[in-house]
Amino acid sequence: MAPAAGTREAAGPARSLADLLDATFQYWALVPALLILLALTLYPMLSILRMAVSTIDFAQGQFLWTFTGLQNWRSFVEDWLFRIALKNTLIFVIVAVTIEMLLGLSLALLACQIQMGKGIYRTIMVLPILVPAVAIGCMWRLMYNYDFGIFNQALVALGLTPLAWLADPRLAMASVILVDIWHWVPFVFLILLAGLEALPVEALEAANVDGANGWQRLRYVILPMIGPTLSVVVMFRTIFAFKVFDEIFLLTSGGPGTATEVVSLYIYKVFFAENRLGYGALLAILTILTICAFVGTYRWTRLGRRDPWAG
Amino acid sequence: MCSKRKLLCVLGLLSVWAVLALPRGTPIALAAAQPAKPAKDLFLDVGKHPPITMLINQSPWYGGFEKVVKLYEEQTGNTLNLDVSPYAGMLEKARNAARGKESPFDWVNIDTQNTVEFYLGGFLSPLKEIDSGFQLDPQVSTYDDCLFWNERTQWRDRNGVLMGLPVQGNVNLYYYRTDLFERAGLKVPETWDEVAAAAEKLGKGGELYGFVVRGERGNAIRFDWMSYMLGAGASIEKDAPNGDFTVTVNSPPAKRALDFYLSLAKRFGPPNSGAIGQNDLIQLITTGKALQLNMVAAAWPNMDNPERSRVVGKVNVALIPRPADGVFATPIGNWVSGIPKNIPLERKRAALAFMRWFLTFEAQYKFAEFGGIPPVRMDVFDSDLATRPQFRWMAAYKKSLPYAKQLLGYKEGAQVEAVLGLRLNQALVGELSSAKALNLAAEDIYKAFQQGGRKTGLLPKLPE
Repeated sequence: MAPAAGTREAAGPARSLADLLDATFQYWALVPALLILLALTLYPMLSILRMAVSTIDFAQGQFLWTFTGLQNWRSFVEDWLFRIALKNTLIFVIVAVTIEMLLGLSLALLACQIQMGKGIYRTIMVLPILVPAVAIGCMWRLMYNYDFGIFNQALVALGLTPLAWLADPRLAMASVILVDIWHWVPFVFLILLAGLEALPVEALEAANVDGANGWQRLRYVILPMIGPTLSVVVMFRTIFAFKVFDEIFLLTSGGPGTATEVVSLYIYKVFFAENRLGYGALLAILTILTICAFVGTYRWTRLGRRDPWAG
Repeated sequence: MCSKRKLLCVLGLLSVWAVLALPRGTPIALAAAQPAKPAKDLFLDVGKHPPITMLINQSPWYGGFEKVVKLYEEQTGNTLNLDVSPYAGMLEKARNAARGKESPFDWVNIDTQNTVEFYLGGFLSPLKEIDSGFQLDPQVSTYDDCLFWNERTQWRDRNGVLMGLPVQGNVNLYYYRTDLFERAGLKVPETWDEVAAAAEKLGKGGELYGFVVRGERGNAIRFDWMSYMLGAGASIEKDAPNGDFTVTVNSPPAKRALDFYLSLAKRFGPPNSGAIGQNDLIQLITTGKALQLNMVAAAWPNMDNPERSRVVGKVNVALIPRPADGVFATPIGNWVSGIPKNIPLERKRAALAFMRWFLTFEAQYKFAEFGGIPPVRMDVFDSDLATRPQFRWMAAYKKSLPYAKQLLGYKEGAQVEAVLGLRLNQALVGELSSAKALNLAAEDIYKAFQQGGRKTGLLPKLPE
């Protein structure tokens, strides 16, 4: 039996609303997660923005926020130590990430040709990533120890003068970078190895048939094909290296002098040791903006556009 | 029969009354099963209290504290949970606890230089608000009055309110190798010149460093240099207790003190002086690689521990030397425990009960015996402990206390420490000359005082 015309008309708007909800359900389903995400990111961001234009004191067990406008900004303009920290961070990022990429790629290229004992070398290579940062700090601090460390013992055995690895301002940054390289090359290696092993064999065979030598295969076949993987690794390592904290905190605490002062460590000191919450907040915002600027710029570059996530 | 029963009932009631009527604070004997002990083994009865938690640092003296807490629990039946944290995390944990809605800790242990932040911020309960009858035993050291907060003068002085209690009383001491000094016929140095002469005579380059400084950037070098600075008659600020924050750290005596410090490090220390922290000092002296150094009293237990030391019985301590024309001086680095304001009164009372027990002679004696170095009661230093060889540090410690000084007791203290910790280290590693380092430090400290709204000023710059 057909329904009455009036009934059908009455059901019309309800049906269309239901259809609309049905058609857009996937978006509605995202709303709770989105709200939680906003609450967890937006609120702290707004709070930190408010802090950046305030001075925060404590009295009678209460936070006392005083709006001070650009006072923190003026402190920033006069802050010579932050500029040194930024310079050191950039040196750290450029040197560490470049060496890590070169070493990681070289090892991955070598390893993908080895067919035997894959499980063993992969397990060995992954070990440094698994070691907690605190253990890495203690271990390397011992190895760098002037009187008892293995490096100086080796130098003395070779008849050379021992070095103040962490106490000489000319050596300290290099010593810290070496630890970072040891820690993170396996990460680069593993991801690039996975990328290399996923390359189509046909393309490499075709290059062989065409008479390409090793360098030509690497330059014109392998590198372009693993470009997306490379770009992801470069981006991740750059961001992680920019945020370096634990290794430097444990090895040198930014010293000797200002030789290894980096941005994250400096913000930690301002915020937690000196208890200058407003100024620390401003520095945190500037660091976030710097990283955002890097990611944005990177995605616009040729290398960045190879990123499969770039959309 | 009936009268006997009545008599027994009366005696029983009398016994119950006698036990209940014992006033709080009456000493009770240790467990009856134990053999008779001398009078000092009588401990304070503080009554039954709910369990409490204390935030405490993992320091060389922690082992002694843990044992004494166990003793407290055995004797009183009360529970004290210890939340043990490494030094680096202590301040943040204490801040989070005291600034939150309700602190998970009933005692927070605070490094002396950070106490001002807690006093000024109003995060701790004045102890008389918890128990109006609470009196600090005169035998308990106040460590240059760092336990009090004077709201009017914004300074830690005895006219203020009692805010915390001492848990441990570090000061810097002079450590030296007795065997080598005796063999060379050298007396214990009293002046820096004698220290330098001993280093010159006995030091053997990389095999035995004549003198080692704690030169790591930050608190390490700032704290280490204070004895030299104060001994030379210099200061960081002119008269902070009375509100004059004129920066005086770049005065000529301060420069002389820094020059001497740098010369000691460079002439007699290892080339990595700029990265040497407290653990490195302990390592160097216990492995026999250092002849002399200045270090906190709390590091002492390592010296005579055969598992950690190659020089058991060969190290002793003395008052930190002074310049030939200067005075004895040593910085205080003690720990103060405070009761957070944001906990219920019942927990505050339970917390105070523990400290009343802990600060008795008997508990302090045990604390020291268990390795809790240094205890905070002065009569412990007059006890038989001081005559035992393993407690030979006590005499030097007691002698040092009159010269011990609290520093950076103002809200800008952490900033001043960061500035000095950096500039002194830069001078040590050769990035700056001593004059330049002190001039730059003075400028940065001046800015910090200015921002803090202090009455401040600068001395003329030292010639660079």
